[in-house]
Amino acid sequence: MSLSIPNLAAGTLLLAVTAYSVAGGVDFGAGIWDLIAGAGERGRRARELIDHAMAPVWEVNNVWLAFAIVVCWTAFPPLFQAAFLNLYPLFTLALIGLILRGAFFAFRHIAENPREHRAADLVFGISSVLTPFFFAACLGAIASGRVTTAGPPPSVWEVCISPMSISFGLVSVAATAWSGAMFLVGDARRAAPDLVDYFRGRALWATGILIAVGTVALAAILFERPQLLAAMFTTPALAFVLAVMVLTPAAAILIWRGIFRWYRLLTVAGVGSLVVAWGFAQAPYLLPGRLTIDQAASSQPALILVLAVAAAVVLVVGPAFGLLVYLDQRTALESPES
Amino acid sequence: MLLDAEPALLPSRILMAFTLGSHILLVPLGVALPTFTLIMEGIGIFRKDATAIKIARRWSVVMAVQFAVGAVTGTILSFEFGILWPKMLGRYGAAFGLGFSIEGLGFFLEAIFISIYLYGWRRLPPRLHFLAGLALPPAGLLGAFGVLAANSWMNTPGGVTIEPNGALDIDVWAALFTRALTYEFWHFTVAIYLTAGFVVASIYAVAWLRGRRDHYQRLGFAVPFTVAAALAPVEVLVGDLSARALTTDQPAKFAAMEVTWRTQAYNPEVIGGLMDPSGNVHLGIPVPWLDSLLVGYSPTTVIRGLSSFAADARPSTVEANLTHLAFDLMVGLGTAAALLTVWYFWTLIRRHRLPDSRWFYRMAALAGVGAYISVEAGWVTTEVGRQPWIVYGAMRVSDAVTNAPATFVWTLLATLVVVYAVIAAFFVTLLLRLAARWRREDLATAGGVEAPEEGVPYGPPR
Repeated sequence: MSLSIPNLAAGTLLLAVTAYSVAGGVDFGAGIWDLIAGAGERGRRARELIDHAMAPVWEVNNVWLAFAIVVCWTAFPPLFQAAFLNLYPLFTLALIGLILRGAFFAFRHIAENPREHRAADLVFGISSVLTPFFFAACLGAIASGRVTTAGPPPSVWEVCISPMSISFGLVSVAATAWSGAMFLVGDARRAAPDLVDYFRGRALWATGILIAVGTVALAAILFERPQLLAAMFTTPALAFVLAVMVLTPAAAILIWRGIFRWYRLLTVAGVGSLVVAWGFAQAPYLLPGRLTIDQAASSQPALILVLAVAAAVVLVVGPAFGLLVYLDQRTALESPES
Repeated sequence: MLLDAEPALLPSRILMAFTLGSHILLVPLGVALPTFTLIMEGIGIFRKDATAIKIARRWSVVMAVQFAVGAVTGTILSFEFGILWPKMLGRYGAAFGLGFSIEGLGFFLEAIFISIYLYGWRRLPPRLHFLAGLALPPAGLLGAFGVLAANSWMNTPGGVTIEPNGALDIDVWAALFTRALTYEFWHFTVAIYLTAGFVVASIYAVAWLRGRRDHYQRLGFAVPFTVAAALAPVEVLVGDLSARALTTDQPAKFAAMEVTWRTQAYNPEVIGGLMDPSGNVHLGIPVPWLDSLLVGYSPTTVIRGLSSFAADARPSTVEANLTHLAFDLMVGLGTAAALLTVWYFWTLIRRHRLPDSRWFYRMAALAGVGAYISVEAGWVTTEVGRQPWIVYGAMRVSDAVTNAPATFVWTLLATLVVVYAVIAAFFVTLLLRLAARWRREDLATAGGVEAPEEGVPYGPPR
């Protein structure tokens, strides 16, 4: 693929979606483990660690999502229109999950009695599962080729509910749980050494589930849109598919053997490759078989502005975000006594 | 009649109005509170004033919690553009999105630096902490600029040409800096600082009324109130310029604001009142010639009336009345605020001290609420006054609305009303608990006191 301006803009959109999948995914994953941590003392300790790990970066993650949305409607307005005309139920459910999650994460800090606290934990946890599911289901529905540009579909549900949308949703939940557990191992090593094995075990289980669900998703693609599967196994998407297949078990093996180096980087690269593999397999189509990048692209000046903003994000926000993560990971932002 | 054609139109408009009207309440503190916090921290650092540092630290907590709520309600809005108005974005997304792309950059910077600022109180050296905070005001203004550029584009669209093949050609500069941006930007930016100042000061005005008269209360009141008081007269001028510009940029909106039905010279300024469908205004207080005088400095200035526009190109009677009353409310409250600041500066300059009249502090306490009301009123004026257009003169709201069934949008509306009520309850509960905790700490002796930002949602852990 050439480095044309529309392609670069599409790359920006893909990177924003990838960044949200990676950064937001770790957060959603932590919420999933929060949900199934159980009520007892160990569950309480795990929740405390999850809170501790999530608080500083939560808001920043949401920004990636808003950015992806804005890039989509600015650079590829017809894609945005078609996606929302066809998939509004899925987007709405994801959105409601997102709001409830944010609100109840905050609420559990001010809940005063155990019952309130339990209710807040529950809403937070369930919405942490539903939100990544429905967002990824949107991508699955797009990838399945059911989203059309010619006005609203006769039945929205036929577009929204398909083997691919459901399996993309499940892969997303499994991948977020996996990356969440991987990062919680690291957080436990810093803040709660007694929980390292707890999250290690969960990370290993999650690896198995992710591989199983991923295989099911490949079958769903084969069933519903074999062209996409074929594209996934040709360059350039193939490189990223192989990366997922190598990095996922590699990260798990490191954790399993107790080698606490590189595993977070491998996790990020694994989840990132998963999203990028889909993007490249679908290119040059934004809506498979119906709308290409060039057909949907806005006029050049608007794309250049989007690229300029993206460059500014990389140049200005990148280092600032790096500083935040550095300070966060080095616990420089906390007091020694906490 | 439009309602029959587009069943989802009514709930979509209500939903958009509800969520935007909620979000806009978070904007003044979201954008301007960092500035006040930095002024306070600066006072603390350079005058070695521990009380000022304490206030700054507490404000930074409110700032962060507010920002978290605003991030959620703002993200909802970006989705609503797709869920409710997909055809507007499909047609004009490239132009409308320019400002929002820039806003995205500001949003990123704010999110990161708020985290660093809040978490850095304990571990960063004071001056470095202050420097990190200096990124916040420009980031907030960049965000405000982006959103206002997008809104201005909807009011005075420019920089777009439709090519023969139907594609949209964009001139980025012209689409970002449309005519309305000149006044919208200054009018709203000043309003943001003004509102934040009055709102924050109102908390300390209430403290004064409850008998608190110490350095903490004086500082917390004087810094934001002085800034707001200096800006209130500026806002009256900027507002006047904005209204006058509408006579050429959006004459139908101006006619609705003034409930002017017939095009005429010697046009009265009607205060209050309601217009009936045939253009007669009831219950209002007309001030003869004043509207013509204000617009053109001469009673002979001709003001274009609503009846000169086609019925499908001007606000309906209900919309015109809403625009008119909202406009009057905003102007009335703004004028009241300007008068209050005259009282403030009079005492400050003539007596070299803060006012000590109970009535002054009662008014100052109300100014916080009043400022929020006038922000809402101003927003209603500009949005309802633009009807029936979503993009002024180019696309009607009814042509932009989703094809989703009306029941779907009604359901979403009901859900979001409940969810927003829950969020608002959490938010208020949290602020009240923080206030109570801080009051307890101020009454208790020093030592063993928690840092303000500890144990707050999205704040550092205890």
